[in-house]
Amino acid sequence: MKEAITVTDLNYSYPDGTTALNDVNIVAYEGEKIGIVGPNGAGKTTLFLHLNGTIKCPDSSIRIFGQDIGNMALKERIRKVGIMFQEPDDQLFMPTIFDDVAFGPLNMGLDKNEVQRRVKDTLQRVGLEGFEDRVPHNLSYGQKKRAALAAVLSMEPDILILDEPTANLDPKSRADLMQIINRLNREGVTTIIATHDVNALPELADRIYVLNQEIIAEGSPREIFSDWQLLKRNNLEAPDVFKLFKVLSCFGYNCNELPLSLDESVNELIQTIGNSEDHIHLHMHEHTHNAVKEVMDSYNHHRMNNSD
Amino acid sequence: MKYPEIDRYASIRSPIHQFDPRAKIITFMALIFSFVFVNELSLALLGLAIALLILIISRMPLDFALQRIKWVFLFLFPLLIIMPLTVEGRQLFDLYGIPVTYEGTVYASLIIIRAMAAVTLALTMLGTTRFDVTIKSLYMLKIPGSLIQMLMFTYRYIFVIIDEFGRMHRALRSKGFEPMTNRHGLSIVGNMIGMLIIKSYDRSERVYQSMIAKGYTGNPRNLMELRLHAKDYLISMCLISIAIMFHTYHLVLP
Repeated sequence: MKEAITVTDLNYSYPDGTTALNDVNIVAYEGEKIGIVGPNGAGKTTLFLHLNGTIKCPDSSIRIFGQDIGNMALKERIRKVGIMFQEPDDQLFMPTIFDDVAFGPLNMGLDKNEVQRRVKDTLQRVGLEGFEDRVPHNLSYGQKKRAALAAVLSMEPDILILDEPTANLDPKSRADLMQIINRLNREGVTTIIATHDVNALPELADRIYVLNQEIIAEGSPREIFSDWQLLKRNNLEAPDVFKLFKVLSCFGYNCNELPLSLDESVNELIQTIGNSEDHIHLHMHEHTHNAVKEVMDSYNHHRMNNSD
Repeated sequence: MKYPEIDRYASIRSPIHQFDPRAKIITFMALIFSFVFVNELSLALLGLAIALLILIISRMPLDFALQRIKWVFLFLFPLLIIMPLTVEGRQLFDLYGIPVTYEGTVYASLIIIRAMAAVTLALTMLGTTRFDVTIKSLYMLKIPGSLIQMLMFTYRYIFVIIDEFGRMHRALRSKGFEPMTNRHGLSIVGNMIGMLIIKSYDRSERVYQSMIAKGYTGNPRNLMELRLHAKDYLISMCLISIAIMFHTYHLVLP
């Protein structure tokens, strides 16, 4: 498989000397869905700013489809890598939504018809048809977020990087945005997503990197969420469904793979119940309480104290 | 939230609204410069009258316009108190031993009337065109890009800063803060303004990063196409002749 983004031994310190990134190594293959998790201040945004050359990296640590990003022309770079940052107001800086979505394509030097086609297409794609003449300050937060995504998608990037795409969204907007992102990925766009939204991660990522200034771990969502010590050390959490099935297994529920999302858990239940003559048997023994307590302790490590 | 949108009434129809935005900018600038350089009170009043007439033709709601012009008047009004007392000249009457001069009153009125005429024209110019069209027209008129971008970003982020201020203000109120003019109250307001400046600074950094990420090079391109019609030339010529007449009428009239 072709490597879309290769980060080798990336180091970065802020101007005041504090280390932000330390020997970071990441590979994203073409068409993959990568998740990046880590506590606040782990350097996720700083890493992303490197990935499209906004922060210049002196020692060619970053390769896009095998090419050193330092040697790529600006137009080429923004066509390859699009970044959506967290705060939509920072990304909608033009007077109208049309101007914002057309900003990237115009900088790429595309002709007028192509720019207009792209603006129309991308606005439709994010569900904002007819918003061309609207001004950003009259949009809701969810609409702003989608407009900010459209402003990146209009450059039709091969790699899409999203910083906290689901943060602060209402459930409907969150579901819409996740659907848009997954559809893009199915169409062949490599997506890299940083998020604290662990319940969204199994849907948005096939492979997860845990970043805390350096790469702490890498693996499938299931591998990462199974390692509660890793989660605890890095202020992370597992999806609720995953935790629930972990508890169920203490009551004697047998499943091969712990489900990570609601959909998976429904399938899992149907399958398990079907396999054991249309019922499941849960039971409680002496040791069950201890087993449950152990699971609860390992996965609820973020409670302030255990007295309440 | 009530926003100070200058182009709230840009979508109504009037001869001023349909005037080509580039021609509008040039013509209105000519009128503004002409009116602020007159030296006679009667001419200044005529200028203000013309400005108000254009405002009325534009069919913009008058209370919307007056709300904004009011601030300029309030800002300049102190001149009408200070200048009659400080400028030397013919004494009108005596105020507790301080002479009130005719020249002072005339100068102060002249400054205020000229400013109001200019602001009325500027408001009509900006209020009858969608803001993004104004910005694009400025690019087409080859105004330096950095000036236009300053204007554009200022306008765009006024709304964001208003929201930010509103949130901070609500947070203060919800913790029991009452605005007071004593030392404590003022220092809190000072902190709040300081915080806004810091937040804006951080935001400007992020905005710049997101511009770079979309390939910003400092040379924005523009897709808008405008065509000048005969009526645009006609309106422009009439208004610009008025602007010129204000300074050349004494050459023509006996």
